[in-house]
Amino acid sequence: MKRSMMIALAAAALLAGGGTYAYMEYSRGTARADEMPVAQQLSAAELLQAFQNDEQAATKTYVGATEQVVQVSGSIRSMEPVGADKTNVVLETGDQLAAVVCEFDNKDLPIDWRSGAQVNVKGICTGLLMDVVLVRCVAAQ
Amino acid sequence: MNEEKKNKRTNMTKLKNIALALAFVPSALIAQERFATRNGHIHFFSGTAVENIEADNNKVTSVFDATSGAIEFAALVKAFEFEKALMQEHFNENYMESNTFPKATFKGKVSGLSAEQAKIPGTYAVEVTGDLTIHGVSKPVTTKGTMTVEAGGVIKAKSEFSVKPEDHGIEIPGVVRKNIAETIKISVDLAYAKM
Repeated sequence: MKRSMMIALAAAALLAGGGTYAYMEYSRGTARADEMPVAQQLSAAELLQAFQNDEQAATKTYVGATEQVVQVSGSIRSMEPVGADKTNVVLETGDQLAAVVCEFDNKDLPIDWRSGAQVNVKGICTGLLMDVVLVRCVAAQ
Repeated sequence: MNEEKKNKRTNMTKLKNIALALAFVPSALIAQERFATRNGHIHFFSGTAVENIEADNNKVTSVFDATSGAIEFAALVKAFEFEKALMQEHFNENYMESNTFPKATFKGKVSGLSAEQAKIPGTYAVEVTGDLTIHGVSKPVTTKGTMTVEAGGVIKAKSEFSVKPEDHGIEIPGVVRKNIAETIKISVDLAYAKM
């Protein structure tokens, strides 16, 4: 009797633990770039150049099979609001027709950033359209 | 004699300049009627009794040529952002296979907004027809929308249409079939600037 009670309790605990884990996993939000390790670090000009030279190889390296953080450095060409709560920080690359575009939630955007400022950005690289696109960006040291 | 040579050279230079100017006239004219955006917004929504799944992409690139009506879109699949990480992972890995098919594109034509109208502020009802390529599979799409011409060379475009995952070779396993709508509602919202 005692033994069967213990088995029942253990099963209930396992079920509760499994259920809690499943719920937490289901509800898990997307990770911020500063919650993940930096996989690659380079300048905005180098990142664009890598995609322009060989998009497929650069996609493999910088986008990766699963999400990874790329840290880029460069000077701010422009800052453009996107909707009500996001801002694109466009990094200079030396190519007038293409840039590295870093999308920030406004709450993560340093208030003192201006065009011309030299900055470091961590973000999730998603690939190349006209520009190389990084999302969920945060400022890096 | 030197003077004659000098005049000849000047005339040749003038001719070259005129030829160069003429060569650039058509592209200059076309450029005046081309509009582009790098920050287009696409929202998709799948609503079922089990759960709602939605995502946003604010990095859609699009070019619209008001002279010919030609319109093109491109979106990076991995730039779709979900509230829940698990949904985003399943979307990329299981359904869109974004490592193999990293981009979704649309190439078509707009009717209902002429190059002349693109200079006159107002809202115009348009129809867009073209090929939508998702998951490496192209399908013809026709949809209605609006294009609003604003002062300063800005054109705002809005449209909504539906897509069936199966039409683009996206297989939904039976176990989650009830979680994902038969047709996914796509909303497009763009603000073009003159190129």
